[in-house]
Amino acid sequence: MSNLVSRAVGGLYQVLRGLITVGRHSFRQPITKEFPDITPDLPGAFRGRLALGVNPLTGEHLCISCRQCERVCPDKCIQITSHKSPETNKPELIDFKIDHGLCMFCGLCTEVCPTNCIINTNDFEMSEYTREALVYDLRKLTLSQEESAYYFAKKEVPLPKPKPAKPEAKPAAAAAKPAAEAKPVAEAKPAAATEPAGQAKAADEEKTAAEAKSADEAKAVGQEKEKLVDKSESAAVSAEALEGKDKKQEDK
Amino acid sequence: MATTSLAAVPSGTVPSTGSYNWVEVFKFARLTVIWLVAIFGAVWITCWAAGELLPHLIEMKCGGQGPSRYVIEGLQACTPLLAILVFIPVNAMFMVLCERRALALFTVRKGPNRVGADGLLQTAADAVKLLFKEDITPRGADVVMFTLAPIIFFAPSVFAAVPLLAAVTSNHELFSITNLPTGIFYVLAMSSIPVVGIVMGGWASNNKYSLVGGLRSAAQAIAYEIPLVLSIITICFLSGTLDVVAIAKGQSDGFWHWNLLGGGVLLSVHSAPAIAAAIGLALCCLLLFGIYLTGACAEINRIPFDLPEAESELVSGYNTEYSGIKFAIFFLAEFTNLFIVSTIAAVMFLGGGASPIPGLLDATFFGGAAGQITAGAAVILVGILCLSCKPVPNTGLLSSGWFGWLCFGLQLVIVAVIALLLGGGASLVSNGLTGWPFNQLSAGHAQLKWLFQSLVNPVTFAGMFWALLKVYTLVIFAILVRGTLPRFRIDQLMDFGWKRLIPLSLILLLAVTFLRELV
Amino acid sequence: MGENLTALTAWAQNHSETTAFYILAFLAIPFAYGVLLDRRIIRSGFLLIGVFGAISGVFLLLQAQFLAMAQIMIYAVGITLVVVIALMLTNPRLEHDVNPAIPVAKTSGIVVSILLFVTIYLSLRSEIWPLSPSPVKADNVLQIGTGLLTYYSLPFEFASVLLLVALIGAIMLARAEHRPPSQMEERLDAQEDLSSERNDNVVQV
Repeated sequence: MSNLVSRAVGGLYQVLRGLITVGRHSFRQPITKEFPDITPDLPGAFRGRLALGVNPLTGEHLCISCRQCERVCPDKCIQITSHKSPETNKPELIDFKIDHGLCMFCGLCTEVCPTNCIINTNDFEMSEYTREALVYDLRKLTLSQEESAYYFAKKEVPLPKPKPAKPEAKPAAAAAKPAAEAKPVAEAKPAAATEPAGQAKAADEEKTAAEAKSADEAKAVGQEKEKLVDKSESAAVSAEALEGKDKKQEDK
Repeated sequence: MATTSLAAVPSGTVPSTGSYNWVEVFKFARLTVIWLVAIFGAVWITCWAAGELLPHLIEMKCGGQGPSRYVIEGLQACTPLLAILVFIPVNAMFMVLCERRALALFTVRKGPNRVGADGLLQTAADAVKLLFKEDITPRGADVVMFTLAPIIFFAPSVFAAVPLLAAVTSNHELFSITNLPTGIFYVLAMSSIPVVGIVMGGWASNNKYSLVGGLRSAAQAIAYEIPLVLSIITICFLSGTLDVVAIAKGQSDGFWHWNLLGGGVLLSVHSAPAIAAAIGLALCCLLLFGIYLTGACAEINRIPFDLPEAESELVSGYNTEYSGIKFAIFFLAEFTNLFIVSTIAAVMFLGGGASPIPGLLDATFFGGAAGQITAGAAVILVGILCLSCKPVPNTGLLSSGWFGWLCFGLQLVIVAVIALLLGGGASLVSNGLTGWPFNQLSAGHAQLKWLFQSLVNPVTFAGMFWALLKVYTLVIFAILVRGTLPRFRIDQLMDFGWKRLIPLSLILLLAVTFLRELV
Repeated sequence: MGENLTALTAWAQNHSETTAFYILAFLAIPFAYGVLLDRRIIRSGFLLIGVFGAISGVFLLLQAQFLAMAQIMIYAVGITLVVVIALMLTNPRLEHDVNPAIPVAKTSGIVVSILLFVTIYLSLRSEIWPLSPSPVKADNVLQIGTGLLTYYSLPFEFASVLLLVALIGAIMLARAEHRPPSQMEERLDAQEDLSSERNDNVVQV
């Protein structure tokens, strides 16, 4: 009997404590972010709209037409058109189509991509009036240089620096590419070739140094700090990228 | 459980500038005040129009004899029903919004704050949406019973509220017609009917989830109705009557006379054993209140007793197949039931429309100078609450910046003017309308005088005010419980009902009967 | 026609109680027939609620408010719901069993119901029903309580004993069967044999 009473009193006490705790919560700052007014700061691993990145330093397209994403896609929403370049004997990208109406944003394609070209961006506002408008072609999929830089920094993936550094395949392809006229990315490439080259190089040096530092620190301090360093490093770039994004939205 | 979840949230993720967030609490209070004033005003004006104004006009035009007499009496007899019919839908609309906002507060969210100013009209929009949705009857359903179920669920809760009206309006002459000699028993009998609607709807839906929901509801209602009724009957023993008005009247003169504290025994005894008995009685009544709240929670299928409509297990149980207006009726009835069980608790345990401290905002209070000052101050406070808010971004009502501050200032000025006007009016009313402007009125203005005097009735006003305050305190407590406790398991539920609550309430019945004689 | 109607309304005004009684009776009797005749047994269970509701209306006419409320609370809701749930949990084939009963059962049923009717009629007729001209007091709970504990205390106690017997019987029926532990083990063994056999079959397949 006394056991019963003590249990009842104990249970009531616990319920009361729970009620008080929940009641106290009503005075906390709400964690709601009212979306259209405040765009949520999504983590880098967020799986939003798919996009194709370019090399943030040189601006060249990262896709090597290996078709691994097309093969792994469970929804078969990726369609790649490519041909074998007569000069280099390498596959060359002609068109890249993703049907975002079919896509379920599983992120498998981004995992298999050997060059980290296809990525999930943080963009989730992609409603359209027709289903056809959800099929994105290469032009709509390819990110600008700034955006690529932003996402490479945000997702903390290694930069595709080795690519231009690699002696055999890549420079050759880069050299061969201006010749091939069937590129919708063409607009990006002359830019990469001419004036931002010096800038890119400067940024490159800075970045390598910063990255080495950050890598050391990451081991010592942990992820938080690394993120901070990354942020400070790519602050200017990401600001530009965001501006670009805003402009794009305005265009829409 | 809750404490661990608190600890699990890293402090960095909560963007807390200060330690306390008064803005949301303030907005919730503002919303509640606006809605309650609207509901209160609507019901008050309707009752006044049907019960006072129209009969008065008819009497002026046709005289008080003959067929017009029947019309007048019919109108006055219909007033309580009209009051309920106006009150229940509007009130349920507000309660849905109140529940969503309060729950958002308890779970550190913001809740609906987009439709209208600061989400004021959210449920109105929802109601319109539900009315226009297609009304689907599933194939294989028993059409007659499928249609009848929401009606059987909703209608009794309308009728159940009738005798309570007399109790919360301090037995106003228009509402004393609703005062039955077996009042509380009638209310209990009526509020036991809705479970039939649930079982009926569950069976007629031709859906196994609905059926299981209906069966669970029936089992639960039968199990928990016994302690609920026993606790109410014990209080009836204590008061010595089944008449709700008499029960409420017995608890006036301060909160120490509430049945919650033993019905005024605590202060009226002098010998030592009688004091012990009185304390025992008060403890018993507190326990009875707990039993009543538990039973009522189970009776109206609220968390933690929401097994009949467990979303995660039964896809919301008995109303799975309902859509459109029928679903709206189910929804309406659920919140009405919550309101009614809270009203029963307020009348039986918390003194109904009586003021908790004698002299505070009751009928005697409105005569004095303190009454005038308080009325003016209250009007100013309510006005500020209603119209203003510190201009923070994204309130929906105000924007930040100089324009926001300008609006804020303008609002303050408007509120001050309105408050001064209303405060002056209130002080006139509290003088019994015999003061300055009224003693200037000649006989030709008798109509105007009658208009004011019939519109404002301080006794009923005080009763309604306290009743609403008590009822909504209980409603918000129910929402807090919903935000805190997890759902029972079905065998634990049955165990708790049959093996714990029923014996406990029987013991308390005996204890109260004997202790009452000892005091 | 119009005269008839006015005469009827005049009569109804003078005999409002009788009119209300007939309305309730015309509600109750179709409901009762529905209980008997509806093939869907759950539905007839719900119709029973209507019958009890109409009867509570009759109680109200007799100014027995408390009894009317008790009728709704206990019979119309509590007991009928239990009946409905019991029906839902029993064999659903009951609904589709439309075979006419065996002739013997039919005739015996008719005989029994006639006998019952005659008995009730005779007993009702033999009793003297005193009518008191004074109206019933509104607060008649006191009278009911006094009656139950003084004049009718013996039937009241009998009824409670009957309920107790029913309760004990229900518990006896519902109680889990207690077997000696050896038997339990045997049953478990048998189950294991069965399952192993099944496994064997699977392997063979």
